[in-house]
Amino acid sequence: MLTWSSLKAYFRNRGAIFFSLLVPLMIMGIFGLINFGNSTPSVNIGVVDQAHNQVSGRIISSLQGIKAVKLHTGALDSERHELQQGNRDLVAVLPASIGQGSTAITAYYNQGNPQNSQVAIAIMNQFVDRASFAFAGISPSLTLDTRPVQSRNLTYVDFLVPGMIALSIMQTGLFGVVFTFVQWKQRGIMRRLMATPMRVSDFFFSQLATRLTTVALQIFVLLAVGLFIFHFHFAGNLLYLLIVGIIGGGIFLAMGLAISGASKSEETAAPIANLVSLPLMFLSGIFFSRSNMPEWLQTITQYSPLTYVSDALRSISIDGASLWAIRTDLLGIFIWLAIAVVIATRLFKWEVV
Amino acid sequence: MDVVTRADEAGLGTTAQGFAIIVEGLRKRYGSLVAVDGISFRVKEREIFGLLGPNGAGKTTTVEILEGLRNADEGQVFVSGIDVRKDPQKVKSVIGVQLQSSAFFDGLNLLELLDMFAALYGRPVDAMGLLKKVDLAEKARSTVSKLSGGQKQRFSIATALVNEPQILFLDEPTTGLDPQARRNLWELADSIRAEGRTIVLTTHYMDEAETLCDRVAIMDHGKILAMEPPDTLIQRLLDKGFHRERMERSANLEDVFLDMTGHGLRES
Repeated sequence: MLTWSSLKAYFRNRGAIFFSLLVPLMIMGIFGLINFGNSTPSVNIGVVDQAHNQVSGRIISSLQGIKAVKLHTGALDSERHELQQGNRDLVAVLPASIGQGSTAITAYYNQGNPQNSQVAIAIMNQFVDRASFAFAGISPSLTLDTRPVQSRNLTYVDFLVPGMIALSIMQTGLFGVVFTFVQWKQRGIMRRLMATPMRVSDFFFSQLATRLTTVALQIFVLLAVGLFIFHFHFAGNLLYLLIVGIIGGGIFLAMGLAISGASKSEETAAPIANLVSLPLMFLSGIFFSRSNMPEWLQTITQYSPLTYVSDALRSISIDGASLWAIRTDLLGIFIWLAIAVVIATRLFKWEVV
Repeated sequence: MDVVTRADEAGLGTTAQGFAIIVEGLRKRYGSLVAVDGISFRVKEREIFGLLGPNGAGKTTTVEILEGLRNADEGQVFVSGIDVRKDPQKVKSVIGVQLQSSAFFDGLNLLELLDMFAALYGRPVDAMGLLKKVDLAEKARSTVSKLSGGQKQRFSIATALVNEPQILFLDEPTTGLDPQARRNLWELADSIRAEGRTIVLTTHYMDEAETLCDRVAIMDHGKILAMEPPDTLIQRLLDKGFHRERMERSANLEDVFLDMTGHGLRES
């Protein structure tokens, strides 16, 4: 009943609901439209050299000479993997028999990104034609055998959407409780509730249930907007996503309780909440991959609670990871949850003292 | 156990003698400050008992201990026969509390708030009936933020009545209200007492205490200075030879104000 009342009260506060969804959506819109991820104008071609002879060496160096081509070399397995991950547009295999009579070069291309792979195929075709003449002088001794490969072809949106979900979980957890609880304390609502035989555990349960319902709702909305507007490639299990979201939400709720316990007024609560949320927001790989950070910063930020949450959400939604597969992230999430709950029980106070 | 035994010996903890509240040797310190300094008093059933005193006298601390909101350091406190120091949760279910700040959740209307409070007591409530009683039936679907000051206080009293309490605590219920709204609230307090409930009232308005209270306790520096019916206290002062500088007239400015503006409630 208390939960129901507090849900009703919470969702009638349309302003709060609006902002808890609007901000992540706005950020998603802005970053999604700018689309930083696809800023590479060149095509990525992987070459698997199985011949290691003069001919294959010359082919590789000529390919390197083409400006629009970003050339990678490697073993067949690793290059095919890169192709599946969407990091190559085309992988060409130079067989051991190259240079000895008529040879077919097998070219796997990325089906998921047709613009880029078509460019890559065209480049390869042209190159093979010219190379054939150069090597033999007679009818083409090199041919190109193209084969499509299904890749997951990640876009920036695929990176961004799980990050945004993580961000909105944090914001709801932190700011959702900090402001209401500090306000309730200041306005005497807490005292009025304490004057009833209400059980403290019921009170906290109702508050947590309200916020976690909001978190679940946010996950749905952000996911829906990601899927239908930004063509987010969701490969995972929605239930896992909700589980991680709700447990992760618990961390930030507990942090919010701790902050509202430590602060006497909204004026002190707001800066503290921002002091916690802003660094987390920018250091936890929400907008950009942490791999762009200096090494030492990567080491530190991998332990951030938001990193655990966003990495877990990303693994689930992009790789279709199971809960077992993300156990290290989950462990981190649970450790943070324990830390936050301990701090919250120490700092939370009912009264403005 | 010791406390109970002694309490029973003293005949405390029972309401057989017609006492709603029994306080013996109550003491409360905050650090070096003694907020309540060993006070004893009894509140009879069905009386309106006033707790008067300047700010910092210890009234609020005393009331909060009676309400189970604060722990006492020493002494015995029985409310409705319940040992408050042993079982503060149980006390909360038989008392009603109206606090000075009458803020409630913004998102819920009056009916929903009363239902929520009833749920906190684990019992059903006739929310509409309760709103009628405090004259707020037509505001049933508004939120508290849309109410006037007097309406807020009346609603606050309604929330304190959802559990049909035997004892009602009113904390400065008329502070900030206009004369019409104050009189209206006094009538409400009288009607609640007429239902057989006991009321403990704290106030800074002496005219309010004089009109409403059967007995008042005047507190200062954590001690009770006097505890009598208002008339007795006034008579005692007069007997000491006290007289006002200015001759009292049989009407005052408030009478003039009410004569001109009427007793009707002014509420938007």
